[in-house]
Amino acid sequence: MAGKGRGVAAFTFNIEALGITRGSMPETQQGPRALFPQAEFKPVPLKTGEDEDYMLALKQEIRGRMKGLPFNIKPHSAKRNVERYKEKYTRECNQIEDEEWTPDWNRLPVELMPQNKAIRKRSSKFPELEKRGEKSDDEKEEKTQKKEDDNEEEAVEGEEYDEEELEEENDYIESYFEDGDDFAAGSDDNMDEATY
Amino acid sequence: MTAQEVRLCALLLQEHFGEVVEKVGTHLLRSGALNLRALAHETRTSLDLVKKSLCVLVQHGMCTFGPGRRGPAGPLEYRVSCERILYMLRYPRYIYTAKSLYGDTGELVMEEILQRGQMTMSNTVRTVADRLTQNMEDGQSTDYNDVVTAFSRLVETHFLQRCPPVDTATSKKTVSEVPESPASTITQPSQPENYPDCYKLPQIHLTGRGKRRRSDEDGDVGARVAKKAKLEHTEACGDEGIYWQVNVERFHLHFRHQAIISAVASKLDQTSSEIVRTMLRMSEVTTPANAAYTQAVSANEIFRAVPPSYNISRPILDQYLTLLVDDPMEFVGKAGDSGGGMYVVNLHRALANLARATLESVVQERFGSRSARIFRLLLRKRHLEQKQVEDFAMIPAKEAKDMLYTLLSENLVQLQEIPKTPDHAPSRTFYLYTVNQLPTARLLLQNCYKAVGNLIDRRLFETKENKRHLEKSQRIEAILGSLQASGAEPAQLAEVEEMITAPERQQLEALRHHINKLDSSENQVDETIFLLESYIKSTSCSR
Amino acid sequence: MTDVKVKKESTDVVDIENRIKELCQQFPHGITDQVIQNDMPHVEAQQRAMAINRLLSLGQLDLLRNSNGLLYRLKDTQSASKMKGSDNQEKLVYQIIEDAGDKGIWSRDIRYKSNLPLTEINKILKNLESKKLIKAVKSVAASKKKVYMLYNLQPDRSVTGGAWYSDQDFESEFVEVLNQQCFKFLQSKAEAARDSKQSPMVQRNSSFATSHEVWKYICELGISKVDLSMEDIETILNTLIYDGKVEMTIIAAKEGTVGCVDGQMKLYRGVNPIIQPTGLVKTPCGLCPVFDDCHEGGEISPSTCVYMSEWLDF
Repeated sequence: MAGKGRGVAAFTFNIEALGITRGSMPETQQGPRALFPQAEFKPVPLKTGEDEDYMLALKQEIRGRMKGLPFNIKPHSAKRNVERYKEKYTRECNQIEDEEWTPDWNRLPVELMPQNKAIRKRSSKFPELEKRGEKSDDEKEEKTQKKEDDNEEEAVEGEEYDEEELEEENDYIESYFEDGDDFAAGSDDNMDEATY
Repeated sequence: MTAQEVRLCALLLQEHFGEVVEKVGTHLLRSGALNLRALAHETRTSLDLVKKSLCVLVQHGMCTFGPGRRGPAGPLEYRVSCERILYMLRYPRYIYTAKSLYGDTGELVMEEILQRGQMTMSNTVRTVADRLTQNMEDGQSTDYNDVVTAFSRLVETHFLQRCPPVDTATSKKTVSEVPESPASTITQPSQPENYPDCYKLPQIHLTGRGKRRRSDEDGDVGARVAKKAKLEHTEACGDEGIYWQVNVERFHLHFRHQAIISAVASKLDQTSSEIVRTMLRMSEVTTPANAAYTQAVSANEIFRAVPPSYNISRPILDQYLTLLVDDPMEFVGKAGDSGGGMYVVNLHRALANLARATLESVVQERFGSRSARIFRLLLRKRHLEQKQVEDFAMIPAKEAKDMLYTLLSENLVQLQEIPKTPDHAPSRTFYLYTVNQLPTARLLLQNCYKAVGNLIDRRLFETKENKRHLEKSQRIEAILGSLQASGAEPAQLAEVEEMITAPERQQLEALRHHINKLDSSENQVDETIFLLESYIKSTSCSR
Repeated sequence: MTDVKVKKESTDVVDIENRIKELCQQFPHGITDQVIQNDMPHVEAQQRAMAINRLLSLGQLDLLRNSNGLLYRLKDTQSASKMKGSDNQEKLVYQIIEDAGDKGIWSRDIRYKSNLPLTEINKILKNLESKKLIKAVKSVAASKKKVYMLYNLQPDRSVTGGAWYSDQDFESEFVEVLNQQCFKFLQSKAEAARDSKQSPMVQRNSSFATSHEVWKYICELGISKVDLSMEDIETILNTLIYDGKVEMTIIAAKEGTVGCVDGQMKLYRGVNPIIQPTGLVKTPCGLCPVFDDCHEGGEISPSTCVYMSEWLDF
């Protein structure tokens, strides 16, 4: 990592051989140095322009939106004492964004399914998966057929997944869709300005 | 994985997926591979939340799973990719690039898929069409077909690819240690491109136009519309189960090419850069992603492919090519004489030069132009004694000594001892200063990760400091919103607006300025990160 | 008649002596017997030997030995006369200093060579200095070291440091001014080439300047008090290469072309950088002097950072 060798002692060799003696050491070595020593140079100004502005807006928009998407997992103990108004308002605003997420269980390990469901399903799920793995390409038609069936089934599972969460936790909806942590709020303001 | 990488991953995970995913993700980063139970136990997080977190991470391509240490009979193990998580920093650039290549539609397609990790084509088309319609004037809407076109072009140019199918058979890629395993576990092939249908568009049965949702409708109606839309979205379109993800590698090639083109434009001129752009475009399909140089193209072919607007005659093109080959940066090389001369773009050489310029830029701005002179001198001459440094750089002994010492203590410059006698006596030892480009690039890359982490930390701090003001302003905006919806008098609205005092407004304005600056910096530091990462990667595959 | 003859003979000898001295002046490093022979083919060997012997005995000529045989060199007549009345020790020290030439010699080395005690040497040196036979020159190689050389000698570059030193101090500012002026010259040349709108090859070629051209430009500017050589200018041009602002190409050239050395000519041109300052240095962290000490929760942290605060409010 950077700057392990801030002091003289950090070098493995005799630095005096380089002509670096105590007397000729840089100033910083003398006495207690300031916590933030005077910086010699200033940062170069940031690039500005349409590209930069747009990417800035995109960044803030992504941040805002990710809060409202179901991938933002809230801890169980998320009972916060937040102003009702803001909450209600932001929820209304985000209504378009609000959606439930039903993972495609074909693409995920069975063990990640909600618990009681997984236990119930495991027996049936496993042979099914095995079967699918053995399928060859010329059986495609059958495969698609099968997939559709699965999808129907999974849609149901998805709903159950949500319901189950509701049971587990009363404020599920609130905590799940609530406008995330405080800090994103500021950028939400900016987000409104970012139009296409 | 370094501490700085883990820290930045944690901040990015927290920002995009919340604290639970952050906890699970960073723990996995630190531990390598873990099974579900161990993960839940070690993070002291409820099994249910760990499962959800893993779903999120897998969905976004940041986590893979496969048989673990105890083989296929044992529990599955999960593994996260630090690299993938860090790419979140680059999302704005991916989206912006899609916009500049394929317009607003391309932009929204990219944005939707990045935010959701993976989506089916039909679902993307509907969502994007709705969003586009939402921003149109009343009575207008976007045809699904327009979105299908943009989506298809993104697939044809490989910016989007199918998520590799989840196989019940063992993937040879993820678990090389387990040669044979029964098909009872699901594993993921890690290389999407190994899958033949990677860029094959499915037939979808989807016609119609984007739907508008009115924001001023009251909640109940809105919810009903949303419900209806959701139902519509679940209609079968024939591409169920075929998910698409963003091919970041393809974007990185594009960024690399952009960087080379703009370097040529800056060093030589516009026309030269256009010639290089043409060469890169011509060889895009035929050159493997990690190749050291592009497939050779002949001057004849280049001549035919250069945009006619540049109006370059054949002899002039030859002159430009000669100058490009002559240039010490060696962006372009000559590979033969057939076809009026065969030319390549030296991709890795260009990356090395860009990285070198990046290191020089850091030394220049941080330590001044005279230190930068010493740094460049050492980059060129490899090994120099202090006296030689003074003489070549024409910098007085004392100053040169101080500068070398500072660069040495920041690890930007290294020192080699060459003893003349076996006793290593300092008086009989040569001390040679040197700069090693690759380790220095690695060091600066770590500095970049830390810098971005710092920028995010500062942003969180600034927002926290202004929490009260922010909440108040949001509350007031909420009131204003509902007042407006209920058709309140302008005077009434003004009264509410005045609830925020002038100093408060000022403070909010300052905060907005700060946040913008910090965010913009994150985007711009990522450009440094990209260059250094690409260079470092190129050195490992050119050997 | 004999008188006349003798007189004539003696005139001849004086002529020969003068001619030998002239030759020696022409070749200050010394001449061989062959050179004298070639110059005066009509003079007999005996006459030549007589003249040389006379000059040697008068202390006007030195006899030296090198790999090619014997060499005759003119002795400084002034010093030769001034050395009159000096004792042998003084002559020895003088000889040692003379041999050191324009590089000079350190008093300790005089001691080694003369085997005289240091106190004695110091006395002699003082004496010789006061007679303006020798001088002490400060060497740039080591700040506390003085070297001695003959009074009328111009010290070598290795002693003075060349054009860049005045009184053994490195003239840093002078170097930077020259660095800037050279760059300005090359830059304007490159600009003119670009604006010429000629074919790319012609444009590139006309953006080049030889080191001779740059040297001429700098000489005409008249910013230097001392005479700069083309080599001096090339040293400056090299700093511009290390500044990343200039590129150099070596081309073959006909011997005799202006600015051509050993059949080669150095061409310089001002170039643009390939990138703008990189993203990292646009943040305070990129330049932070306490970057490695910074961590969240510490005394130095992103939230307490004063560089960050100053930058944000800017």
